[in-house]
Amino acid sequence: MKKHKMKGLFFTGLLGAALLAAGCSGNDNASGEQNDGNNGNNSNDGEEKRLIINNGSEPTSLDPPIGNDEYSYSILNNVMEGLTRLEKDDPVPAPAMAEDWDVSDDGLTYTFHIREDAVWSNGDPVTAEDFEYSFKRLADPETASPAAHHSYWIAGAEAFNTGEGSEEDVQVTAVDEKTLEIVLENPVDFFPSIVAMPQLFPVHKDTAENDENWANSVDTLVTNGPFTLTEWERDEYILVEKNEDYWDAETVNLDAVEYLMVEDTNTAYQLYQNNELHVSGIPTDMMGELIESDEAAIYPRSGIEFQRFNVEEEPFHNKNIRKAFAKAINGQEIVDYIIQGNQPVMDGYIYNEFVHPAGGTYRENAGSMHEFNVDEARELLELGMEEEGYDTLPEVTLSYNTDDQHHTVAQAVQEMLQQNLGVDVKLENTEWAVFLEAQRNVELQYSRSSFLGGYNDPMNYLDNFTSGNPMNRTGWSNEEYDSLVAESLQEVDPERRFELMQQAEEVFMEEAVIVPLYFYNSTFLEKPEVVDIVRHPVGFVELKWADLQ
Amino acid sequence: MLKYILKRFAWMILTIWVIITLTFFLMHSIPGDPLDVGDSGGSAAASENLRAYYNLDQPLPVQYFSYIKNIVTLDFGPSMTSRSSTVNDMISSGFPASLQLGIASLVFSVISGVALGVLAALRHNKMIDYITMIVAVIGISIPNFIQSMLFINYIGANFDFFPVARWGTWRHVILPALALSSGPMAIIARLTRSNMLEVLTQDYIRTAKAKGLSARKIVVKHALRNALLPVVTIMGALTASVLTGSFVIERIFAIPGIGQYFVNSISNRDYPMIMATTVIYSSILVFMMFLVDIIYGIIDPRIKLHTKED
Repeated sequence: MKKHKMKGLFFTGLLGAALLAAGCSGNDNASGEQNDGNNGNNSNDGEEKRLIINNGSEPTSLDPPIGNDEYSYSILNNVMEGLTRLEKDDPVPAPAMAEDWDVSDDGLTYTFHIREDAVWSNGDPVTAEDFEYSFKRLADPETASPAAHHSYWIAGAEAFNTGEGSEEDVQVTAVDEKTLEIVLENPVDFFPSIVAMPQLFPVHKDTAENDENWANSVDTLVTNGPFTLTEWERDEYILVEKNEDYWDAETVNLDAVEYLMVEDTNTAYQLYQNNELHVSGIPTDMMGELIESDEAAIYPRSGIEFQRFNVEEEPFHNKNIRKAFAKAINGQEIVDYIIQGNQPVMDGYIYNEFVHPAGGTYRENAGSMHEFNVDEARELLELGMEEEGYDTLPEVTLSYNTDDQHHTVAQAVQEMLQQNLGVDVKLENTEWAVFLEAQRNVELQYSRSSFLGGYNDPMNYLDNFTSGNPMNRTGWSNEEYDSLVAESLQEVDPERRFELMQQAEEVFMEEAVIVPLYFYNSTFLEKPEVVDIVRHPVGFVELKWADLQ
Repeated sequence: MLKYILKRFAWMILTIWVIITLTFFLMHSIPGDPLDVGDSGGSAAASENLRAYYNLDQPLPVQYFSYIKNIVTLDFGPSMTSRSSTVNDMISSGFPASLQLGIASLVFSVISGVALGVLAALRHNKMIDYITMIVAVIGISIPNFIQSMLFINYIGANFDFFPVARWGTWRHVILPALALSSGPMAIIARLTRSNMLEVLTQDYIRTAKAKGLSARKIVVKHALRNALLPVVTIMGALTASVLTGSFVIERIFAIPGIGQYFVNSISNRDYPMIMATTVIYSSILVFMMFLVDIIYGIIDPRIKLHTKED
């Protein structure tokens, strides 16, 4: 990384520009130093299996608690590894850095046994102490991690992070070099899938302690995953190569993965067409046509597109009016004609595909809790207006952040409400940050929303609408809901726990706090030779099993 | 002359200071919190800790003075959106690409713009004039991102010689430079043409002709030199905007330049990056204008830079 060069470069830049502008002499291009000949040529560099995928943008940071977004974690997930890693076929935690783990009878104490052959890229063994340090570092207010809340499962971590407790009270302890003991705040049985998340990846203690910027360059980055980072050109590409010292190296098929930083999906698509990328996203305006192609790959995603009501404002303080709106909007049409990515329509709030302890998916057990129904919607609206003594409905404004697709969806919703309920809705769009701030302050009456799941449990969804949660943003508060959520967090029996969560979802849907629209999915184009890229509904792309045939 | 330069330099500094100050208070007054992590489910405490990390918990005047200090020392600190690097890292790694692309397109637009303009003026109301001006109108009226896509589709995808996107060799420069330069080229061509037409009717041209000078000498030495004055005027602003990269072109061609930061820093409310891009753009702009003033004096001796001292 070039540091302290800024000043010099700045003025040479100015001078150079000036001279050239005046003199019109011509070193018109020639980028000697950047020409590494690395571009374009596809995987067939001899027998090397090099997968080229698009990362979309430069990673925010490759320091696990700092990155906290897809750009960072799609890379980090393949160059580092946590105590567990989700299995290839199901999003179930499997041993990774930890060989196995024990749980105490009360479900509160987890003891992870770290495998003997777990090593860092600098040759040091991965130790329990590294994990203790990393988890405390995630919670440390000085680290200022945007993902700090993922440490709150650990007893004492939240207090440390909010400044009310101290580091010593965070209950994660390296018992010996390879044994890690963690005491949880609540007996959550999905904790082993929490430690598969990149936010809870270990960092090499000595490195991170001595160099704050250790994750900023290839030379100082110390990793422990299936691949090792070997080249990094800012805003151009990152190259990772197979880590022969990885404990499960024989499973890894690829020799190298090149992540390109191509922000524009249309450009990525062109590169894909030109055989310079193996995997590309699908440009929004080509979705309908390309989704049917043989090269399209659709992965389900734990995430939802929905709308929020402000229950503190008229007319949405009335439950029946909220219900009427929710039932009058046809999510299927929005998916079929606007989004066109074959997304499943929401029939509840919680993501459908979570694995249920009784077998099958969560939704198969819980059943549908929401459907589009114009007749019911009309009756409910009438009922609600009667309850409030309205002759005409107070003015309703649907807000969304500026974006072509959101705009089209908002117009469709406007049309549906007009046709199905005879209600005129105004549309209002603002820039994203402005929109978000207004939504956070519960200033928007009726607004577009989305949520991307972080971990593999219905609690990930339910937690959002507990009273005072920063994700709530509706002004809605319900004692029964809150206590069901709290109770389920204390429940040790998995089936009973799911039952409680299902009851909480029923309360939530009955209250119609949101208009459910559709579940997300991830759509890509993949060349026929690409196999076994794993993308679970939660988490980030897994290339450990990927291959080029 | 020296006194004039010094005075202009002082004004330059003052102008930049005013721009920086205005930008600072404007960016803090727009709604939107750069460190709100709530959207990814983050806790309120996490946002508070981040605020402390970036010193945003300090009162505004304190923040203002530390910003001024950072700017004077040209150290903009860590970026709020990309914590793995400082703003200086990001700018210094992106600036060369933007600079190369900018210089290439500037050279191309000036040479072809002036040539087309002169040609059109000399062949006034002939076929060549019309063709040139049609090219110029197309250059101005088709947005460069559309041109880029056409180039990528029809040139990049069909000829191996031109890569569809990305950066690295001189071949990567050609298509984006063409797309970026067509607008300025058209402006320069039209401006040169109309000035040439005017200059060619002047008395001193007739004098030169009467002296028996060759047509080439008249055009190059007498006509063009005067016709270029307005072109030089717009060169200042043009250079500044071309050198600091183009958000759209760099995005479409996946070029690792700094153009993206001008737009993304604002939508991300990345305060240090907003300040850095403001300082860079305004310094280049103000400096180019200063340079243009000096070049005036060189091209046209009738313009006196030091009237008061005479």
